[in-house]
Amino acid sequence: MKTLIRQSIRTGVTFGIVQIFFILIAFNSMIGIMLAKISGIKNPGEIPAPKFLIAYTLLMGLWVGIAALRKKSELSAGQKILAGFSASLTSAVLVGLLEVVMTIILVNKVFVRDFLTVLSFDFIKATLFGMTPATGILVTIGCILLGSLAAVGLNILFNLHAVQEHWKKDMAFLKSLGEKFQYIVRGKYHLLWQIVGISILAVAVILIPMKWGSYWNYVFGTVGLYVILGLGLNIVVGLSGQLVLGYIAFFAIGAYTMALLNAPEPHNLMWGFWPALLLGVILAALSGLLLGLPIMRLRGDYLAIVTLGFGEIIRILLKSDVLTNFTGGPRGIQNIQGPNLFGRPFNSEVDFVYLIIAGVILASFVYNRLQQSRTGRAWLAIREDETVARASGVDTIKYKLLALAIGAAFAGLAGGIYASRNQFTGPDEHALMASINVLSLIIVGGMGNIPGTILGAFTLKGLPEILREFANFRLLAFGALLVFMMIARPEGLIPSHRPKYNEPKEASTNLKDKEVPHDK
Amino acid sequence: MTNNIIQVQGVSKIFGGLTAVNNVNLDVAEGSIYSIIGPNGAGKTTLFNCISGFYVPDHGMVLFQGLVLNGRSTDTVASLGLSRTYQNIRLFSNLTAIENVLVGQQPRLSETWVDSILHTPRSRKEEKTSLMEGFKWLDFVGLSEFANSIAGDLPYGAQRKLEIARALGSKPSLLLLDEPTAGMNPQETLEMTALIRSLRDKFNITIILIEHDMHVVMGISDYISVLDFGNKIAEGKPEEIQNNERVIEAYLGPGGAALAQKYRRKKAA
Repeated sequence: MKTLIRQSIRTGVTFGIVQIFFILIAFNSMIGIMLAKISGIKNPGEIPAPKFLIAYTLLMGLWVGIAALRKKSELSAGQKILAGFSASLTSAVLVGLLEVVMTIILVNKVFVRDFLTVLSFDFIKATLFGMTPATGILVTIGCILLGSLAAVGLNILFNLHAVQEHWKKDMAFLKSLGEKFQYIVRGKYHLLWQIVGISILAVAVILIPMKWGSYWNYVFGTVGLYVILGLGLNIVVGLSGQLVLGYIAFFAIGAYTMALLNAPEPHNLMWGFWPALLLGVILAALSGLLLGLPIMRLRGDYLAIVTLGFGEIIRILLKSDVLTNFTGGPRGIQNIQGPNLFGRPFNSEVDFVYLIIAGVILASFVYNRLQQSRTGRAWLAIREDETVARASGVDTIKYKLLALAIGAAFAGLAGGIYASRNQFTGPDEHALMASINVLSLIIVGGMGNIPGTILGAFTLKGLPEILREFANFRLLAFGALLVFMMIARPEGLIPSHRPKYNEPKEASTNLKDKEVPHDK
Repeated sequence: MTNNIIQVQGVSKIFGGLTAVNNVNLDVAEGSIYSIIGPNGAGKTTLFNCISGFYVPDHGMVLFQGLVLNGRSTDTVASLGLSRTYQNIRLFSNLTAIENVLVGQQPRLSETWVDSILHTPRSRKEEKTSLMEGFKWLDFVGLSEFANSIAGDLPYGAQRKLEIARALGSKPSLLLLDEPTAGMNPQETLEMTALIRSLRDKFNITIILIEHDMHVVMGISDYISVLDFGNKIAEGKPEEIQNNERVIEAYLGPGGAALAQKYRRKKAA
């Protein structure tokens, strides 16, 4: 009994500290605004109405309750109530203490915003639900207790025998449904089903962009470009295992090739989109080779640092005053022309979405083919153990250069399309943060596989666009998500699986010189 | 007269002030099983590393089928037909067993990355033959049921066998085995000995072996060299080595030879 209470109090302290932290970074008002939006209020303002903050506090209480009862399903109902109550009381008292301090700040008109920018007097008032301090603090404590008791109640309910039985039945039903689906898809007519599936997907891909507004097309175009980038970086990092941090430099090379060859300023060359795109891809691949040659001996951290430097060099060069006449300098390049296909100019987001989808399909195709081939296996061997790969006869230098060049070519493709779609490119679009974004998306999605990359691009590029209002918290959420991912799913949302090989049936002609016996 | 597949001529390797291998000569006859033994730290693995191209010897030369190996990178050495395994298992542990063997075949394949993308007839044919061969090697070492298991998850003995299968992928004419039975139980050791012997008997692969298990060494070796503190102190047929005083002293310390003599007399009586 004593250990139970001690454990619960420890949980309560942890969560109390987390909640204090959340209040100090105004996470509560952010969630409050989100709740207000969900409930249909168009313009909730910077600080939400008290009822949403009360809802937030209840949710926090629920969270404490759930945490206090984690891995404690064998306890009796009374013990559960005790555990939930002591945990939530501890954290409620901690939060209450913070509110007391905030009240003192409010009453004495102490100006603390030099250190804690969010603690405005309005914010403090809202955190106390616009009530008098004493009631506010009591309501907070009450909400946390109530929330955690609700969690305890739910926990007890779900652990009841009857409920568990029902739950099991439901799961079994779902599982059998899944198996039936697998049977249909993988069974006798799997080819037919594949064709049907692909055609449904194709129709959807063709029709949906037309229905979306240009904003959604823009968002999903960006996601698509990041999928291409992610696949390229996956070849370098996921398959061949070289941690390259300045990857966005290749994207910049593609974008600037497009911009310099296809904009009225500064050179007015006007080569047209397709030649410029092709040249951008080639130049990016070449720069990958050139970067690769001197750094072939480097591994791990050293490689990461050198490539990070390369990325910064490219960005600073593009920005430099010396090259302003050539690259447009810090202002970047405007009015980049779009492509023409069969005499029809691309002038809406829809056209570009189709172009990007084509690019994604091409990139996935190349990636997939390479992955399941001699080349892909050589890369994987290098990732696993470079020394042994070499001693097994893999020409490690050749394959590492190849990985860099192909990965860079993918980035060049994405960069060219990107510059032409935005009709603008500037040096600050190619900063270090963009490289880190691409790396994060493949880590979050799952290193080394296509579905993971696509999911990662949606999570890290699509979601922030959807949640644009919370732009201030984007980096915070980003970091939190990465930390959470590393703990919960270290191999990414969709981990890679090794392909299965079956022994081919027919006899081969290649084994004449050394017979291999069958009698083992 | 038999051909020497590999000749090690006066090879020395010096790390700072330590002479790990000192002026060692070996002549390994084609089709033989050649063992290198010696106490811990005698320089056996260093000598292996000099032969397989991991280290460049400071003095001397390594000739493989008449070609000088000094200074060649390990991948060229592998493509010439010299494969090896490692003292502490170094598989590609996140790949499946069959993929490990497929990587081992790399030096014999001609498929380029363009072939891979376009699935040209060459790539398809090569993929199929190498897959068949890979399965046959797995079958040969007795691991065909584990073909699609992750290499790092295999039992210890199976991992040792898989290393050999990977080394065989390149169809080597010389195989260097660094302590193939280390950490195995008697049953596994017997199987491994049989496997090594059948490699030589069925495929005429020359084998150089580093081994501490004297039953294995004396049972299968045609010829043995003994290293101690980087120097070769003896060579000869197994029975010659067993009775060599310097060898016994290297293992048992000074006076060990006399002690062994006494022990033997006691046993005989």
